[in-house]
This record gives sequence, C-alpha cells and structure tokens, in this order.
Amino acid sequence: MALDLLALIYLSAAANGLLVGAISLPLIISRSTLFALTMTHAVLGGAILGIYVNEVLGVGLPIQLTAFLVALMLSILVAELSEKFFSEDVSIALAIALATTITVVFSYLLARISPAGLSQAWSYVAGTSAVATLSDLQRTLSSLAIIVPLIHMTSGEIKYISFDRDGAAALGLNTRAYRYLFFALGSLAASTLSMSIGVLATHVLLAIPGAIAVKLFRRKLFTASYLSAACLSLGGYALAQALNIPPSGGIGILSAIAILGMVVAREA
Amino acid sequence: MAEIELKNVSYSFGDRVALEDVSFELNSPFFCAVMGPNGAGKSTLLKLMLGLLKHQSGIIRIMGYDVPREAGKVRRLIGYVPQVIDIDYRVPMSVEEVVAMAALSRDLPPRIMTGSVRRKVREVLELVELDDPSMQFSELSGGQRQRALIARALVSDPRILLLDEPYSMLDFDMKCEIAELLYRLHKDKGIDIFLVAHELSPCIHLEPIVILLNKRVYAIGRAGEVLTLENLRRAYPGLTEVPAGFILGEDHG
Repeated sequence: MALDLLALIYLSAAANGLLVGAISLPLIISRSTLFALTMTHAVLGGAILGIYVNEVLGVGLPIQLTAFLVALMLSILVAELSEKFFSEDVSIALAIALATTITVVFSYLLARISPAGLSQAWSYVAGTSAVATLSDLQRTLSSLAIIVPLIHMTSGEIKYISFDRDGAAALGLNTRAYRYLFFALGSLAASTLSMSIGVLATHVLLAIPGAIAVKLFRRKLFTASYLSAACLSLGGYALAQALNIPPSGGIGILSAIAILGMVVAREA
Repeated sequence: MAEIELKNVSYSFGDRVALEDVSFELNSPFFCAVMGPNGAGKSTLLKLMLGLLKHQSGIIRIMGYDVPREAGKVRRLIGYVPQVIDIDYRVPMSVEEVVAMAALSRDLPPRIMTGSVRRKVREVLELVELDDPSMQFSELSGGQRQRALIARALVSDPRILLLDEPYSMLDFDMKCEIAELLYRLHKDKGIDIFLVAHELSPCIHLEPIVILLNKRVYAIGRAGEVLTLENLRRAYPGLTEVPAGFILGEDHG
C-alpha cells in the first residue's frame, strides 16, 4: 500500500514535470514569462473565488474550472490592453492588480463565513499534493493530453509571431488566434499545476526548464525542456520527502539551485 | 488595370493623421521608392497595402483585388520585408526557420518542414547569397539579416516585393549591395519592387520611380523630376539650404 502511494506520488511528479516542460519553452521563447506571473496570480484569485461561490451558493463548482477561467480572462485582458492601449508592462501590472484584488476581497469574505474554506484556499498557495491521489494524477494526465499535442502543433507559429508579429500577419497567420490559444493552454497548465504544487512553485517552475533549454542547448530544445522539468519535479518531490517539507518547498529549492547554476554557467 | 492603385486613401491613429488623401497608380514593371521624412506615413502605407491596417477612407487595389476585403489573396501575391527594428532577435530562430515559415504558412497546421520546402529555402538563400541556413538570425550581420528577410519574402514566388526601410542600420556599401540585389531580382525575375525609405542615395542610380510622401503625395515620377528643391522644401519641413546645395535632416516629425 505504501509502495503504491509512493509510486502514485512520483507518477504525479513526473506528469507535472512533463506538463511544465511542454509549456515552459514556448513561454520563454515568446518572451511571455511576465504573462506567467499574471496567470499564477489569476489562478489564485480564481480558486478563492470558486471556493467562495461554492460556500455561499452551496454548489459544487470545480475549483480548477474557476481558476482556469479567471486566468484565461485576465490573460486575454492583458493581450487586448497591450494591443490597443498600454505597454505590455502596464497591462500586466493592471491585470495582476485585478487578480490580487479578487484574491484579497474574496479571502476576506470567505474568512467571515468559513475558516475551513480559507484554509482550503491557502492550500492553493502552498500546494496540496504532499499526498497524491489518483484524481490528482488523472487531472494532470487529462491536461497533458490536451496541452502537449496542441503545443507541438503550434509552437513554431507562436515562436514566429514573437519573432516578427507584422511579418507573421503578412504571411497570413492569425496572430490573435494563436496568442489566445497559447494563453488558454498556459492557463490550463497553470491551474492544473497550482492544484498540486501550489501557485508559488508553479510560477517558479514555469520559467526555469525553458530557460535552461534556451541558454544551454542549441538543438532539441523541447527535449531539454521536458528533461529538465521532469528532473526538477521528481528531484523536488524526493528532496521534499527527505527534508519532510511540502513538495513545493523541494521544487523551490531545486529551482533556486538551477537558476544559480545557469548564472554560474553563463559567467564561466 | 494598374498593378497598384490607391485613390484618396486616408488613415489616422486617433487624432493624429498618418496619411491624407493619398492617390497614385503603378503599372508593372516598376521599381518604385517612396521617400519621405520620419513620421511621413511610409510604413503605415505599406501596412494598409497589406491589409494589416484598415484605411478609414478611399480605395486600395492590388492587382485588381480590394484591400482589406481580399487581403488574403493580396498577401499571396506580395512578399513583405518588415523593418529590421521590428524583429525580436532574442527569439531563437535559425535562418532556415525564418525563411521556411513563409513557405509553410499556406498549409494548415501542423506545418512540418519537408524535403521540398528545405530545397526551396536553399534555392532562395542562394539567390540572396546566403549560404548557411543553420545560422541563428541573431548572429547575422545587418546586411545578412536584410538578405534573410528578402529570402523569406521570395520563397512564395511573389509578384511584388514590399520593403520597409531596407537600408536602415546598414553602412553605405551594404545599402548599395541591397539596392543592387533588389534591382537584380526586378530585372532577372520580373518582381516589381515597392520600397519605402527616408533616403534614396543607395538606389538613385537605378532610376526608380520616386513617390515623395509626407502624409500626402507631393510628387511622383522619375527621380530627376521629383527630387527638385521646390518639392523637397514642401515635403521636408526641416530642409536646410546651404551654399553647396541642401541638407535633409533625419527627424522631421
């Protein structure tokens, strides 16, 4: 039984790693790491909003759905604002302010009606999967089945649009549709990962494998991204087990070491 | 039927007028250079012709197709070379990837690079005298980058090349090399050239048709007829006359 549980934990870790590996490289090469910041803030706001609505209305909304929808809406808001009105930095700051407002206001309201609901909400910050369940694994595998094929089908175009947006549009690529698809896949990945390893570790983890691939490799970037993400995720779980801390803590420590390693490699 | 036809085209960014009542016609074959100061609406004109922006009044027809209504058909006939300043070099792209997307963009996803696409890419790279498709775009010199972007525009066998400031950020010899390359493509391959630039000296000896533009068209014709002191004084508010001739400033807002 203990062995089964351990296997389940590491299978979940490996699946999380693959999910990160798929989305991290396009995030880095399309210069969208700040979008990841928007997405993770929005996921937290969406999760707390979902818990609050469930408590108040007594319904059973899936929390991942509300987290995903809020992340998607705020990502699209950033895209539209930066296309028509403001610089990208200003648009991201505005979206993060909105997401934080949703988080703070609904945390306050939730605390007044249900302390248990508030502790459930906090689990989205720190992560819940110290003990993995079969539903955790199923949820991650379902997201993988959607994200991996779509990312591989469209990553060339996403990269091209980041390289030369007007040129891509002149070639007939629907730049807006590709960006929205990418945000949808990013939001799905961020909401799935946040359910298990938490928002903070998700934000750190989303950027690192892609950065490792781009900085240290010239070819097979996706393979490098998948492998480094899987190593970080599995290694993070193992470290967490050894130190008796939550998996997000182990992943955070390994991510910090990876960033320092990249800095040292670049200086060398 | 004129290959390029604009009638009373106007475009504004909010309150700021970019183009006002612009009209001209060009019949094939042509090697045309649009000249004007910074902020004259040159890049806007190209984007309107491609259907990337929608004009607020007037008519644009490219080879009989109405823009932007039939922009998809127009883009199949046109190769577009953007300003290098609009390219994000930090995105890791090889020369082959840059050029191949133009060939693949007509297919539906997933766009996979086949042997025939690779051959076509090598063919156009030879034409623009670039020999290593595996080089990263960010590692190329200014002239090589311009050549790679021209190769991308050529890979889909366009009838017209639209080029946005092809001489920018190049030394004078390199500017002349790019101008010679464009003229060779025009003469040998029959591709019509429509470029915008704030200086024409690299290509002036190739006797282009010149359109003098500063939000509206001030003159159109051969360089000798258009580049008169009177026309330039009207189009370039910052023109400075000196005893030996005149100086065109770079920035005239």
